Amino acid sequence: MLVLEVEHLTKNFGKSCAVNDISFSLGEGEILGLLGPNGAGKTTTVQMLLGVLTPSKGVIRYFGKNLTSHREEILEQLNFSSTYTTLPWELTVKENLTVISHLYRIPDRKKRLEEIAQIFRLRKIWKKPIYALSAGQMTRVNLAKAFINSPKVLLLDEPTASLDPEAAAYIREFLLHQRKTFNVSLILTSHNMAEVETICDRVIFINKGGIIANDIPENLAKSIEISHVELAIGDGLKRTIAYCQENGLSYRVTGRSIIINTHERKIAELLRTIMEIGVRYDEISIQKPTLEDYFLQMAKKDELH
Amino acid sequence: MSLHRIFAIVLRQLYTFRKNLDRLTDVFYWPLVDLLIWGLTGVSIAKQAGNIPSLPLMIISGAVFWLIVWRGAGEITVSTVIEVSDKNLINLFVTPLKFWEWTAALVVLSVMKALLTFAVGVGIAFFLYRLNLLIYGWYLFPFLATLLVNGWCVGFFVGGIILRYGMKSRNLAFTAVQVLAPFVAIFYPASILPHWAQLISSALPASYVFESMRQFIASGTLDPQKLYIAGLLSMLYLPLSLLFLHKSFQKTLKRGLVGVH
Repeated sequence: MLVLEVEHLTKNFGKSCAVNDISFSLGEGEILGLLGPNGAGKTTTVQMLLGVLTPSKGVIRYFGKNLTSHREEILEQLNFSSTYTTLPWELTVKENLTVISHLYRIPDRKKRLEEIAQIFRLRKIWKKPIYALSAGQMTRVNLAKAFINSPKVLLLDEPTASLDPEAAAYIREFLLHQRKTFNVSLILTSHNMAEVETICDRVIFINKGGIIANDIPENLAKSIEISHVELAIGDGLKRTIAYCQENGLSYRVTGRSIIINTHERKIAELLRTIMEIGVRYDEISIQKPTLEDYFLQMAKKDELH
Repeated sequence: MSLHRIFAIVLRQLYTFRKNLDRLTDVFYWPLVDLLIWGLTGVSIAKQAGNIPSLPLMIISGAVFWLIVWRGAGEITVSTVIEVSDKNLINLFVTPLKFWEWTAALVVLSVMKALLTFAVGVGIAFFLYRLNLLIYGWYLFPFLATLLVNGWCVGFFVGGIILRYGMKSRNLAFTAVQVLAPFVAIFYPASILPHWAQLISSALPASYVFESMRQFIASGTLDPQKLYIAGLLSMLYLPLSLLFLHKSFQKTLKRGLVGVH
């Protein structure tokens, strides 16, 4: 079942087109990653999905209902969190969440606030004003706000930015648990490709306002045919570098190790040739292309154009 | 309209109010300063000119009634400035909150603060000068309602400008309503204004309240027609100012609420 359908969504700011005729959908319980370089149109898209930016063209439907005509009903089941927006900074965490809980008319408000404080480890900062929080604490408060109404669809803009690795892992686990337990659907933007690969079922890559890929993370990574071959050279580092230069292969040297980027199908040939020229290596590791490679390649293409 | 969402916005502003005790100046400090200055001026002129015992009441009533217009506008504009400067509009409008609920909450806040200001003004006038501002009896209701609505109209209009142009127009929140002060004839009859200013004065609902107030003090009665005109003008300006605020909000949505600051 689809919880979100976006058709021909377009946003123009004057003569500039920020989002250009994009269409996609989100299934129930699905986690969708929205990726793209800065200025690609991700935030503009998210704002339109939240109803805080009017599209120039196109339709947004949640649960089969048009966002414009069923705004109140839809927004009761929706929420969002962004690292780039802040809550009123003079109000305490408790006060901010109390106001938000009234806006959503949360039943048994006190109990829900306690639950949220527990889940997002807010007890110690419960009575602190927002301006006194660290970036990581602020992110946790934003996430608490996003989950306060137990939404069916959640839009998260960089949900784990500013969190330490342990807290980020905790939040990722929490998101997956929410999906598993309550079938929550999520759209998330992130610059942490490993995170996207770990938790997203599907990824949409946006660039220059248009969707240039819509697939599962593995397939996007596979579309990059360049692998990274790392060799710990025992003898012949200079010869290896010369070989790479002669054959136009990109490489990076760290101490006695060299990482050579080559086409997946040419790895065997590479290894055979460098042995033929007398290079001896003690260790080898081959890294398959990742989503990050895909992202970097797309960003590079964009720079070249 | 949902009462719990209106309550949420009122609560949010009350939390902010509690943290900014300087905002109490609106309710206590300015009424006290105004009533001291204008009250003493009135008493002094009355003594020097002789035989105008009603002058202090006229002047103090004018000062207190003007505070109602000021608070009516100020609470709406200042609350809008707070949301814009806190970049909080996006947090509010990603919830089911409707634009008209937000507006209603600002009106509730302005009524609360205006009534509190009026009560403080009445108290100060009584304790400092033994003047009874409740002397207008039932007429106080149309007086206060007209003054408040006049304030809201200015507040909605300025609020719309703040939504459109953001914090660079924030000073208007505190000053715009003062533009009306010379024209509404707070302390003097509108007839002493130059002709062009009288035309402006006649288009402002608050002018009729101040004229009626003076007439009541002078004769113990007033011309109800003036209050009808004030009511009609209010009914004309209120929807227009609300429409402007709403259009400004719609325009802001076209730019995105994230971009309002």
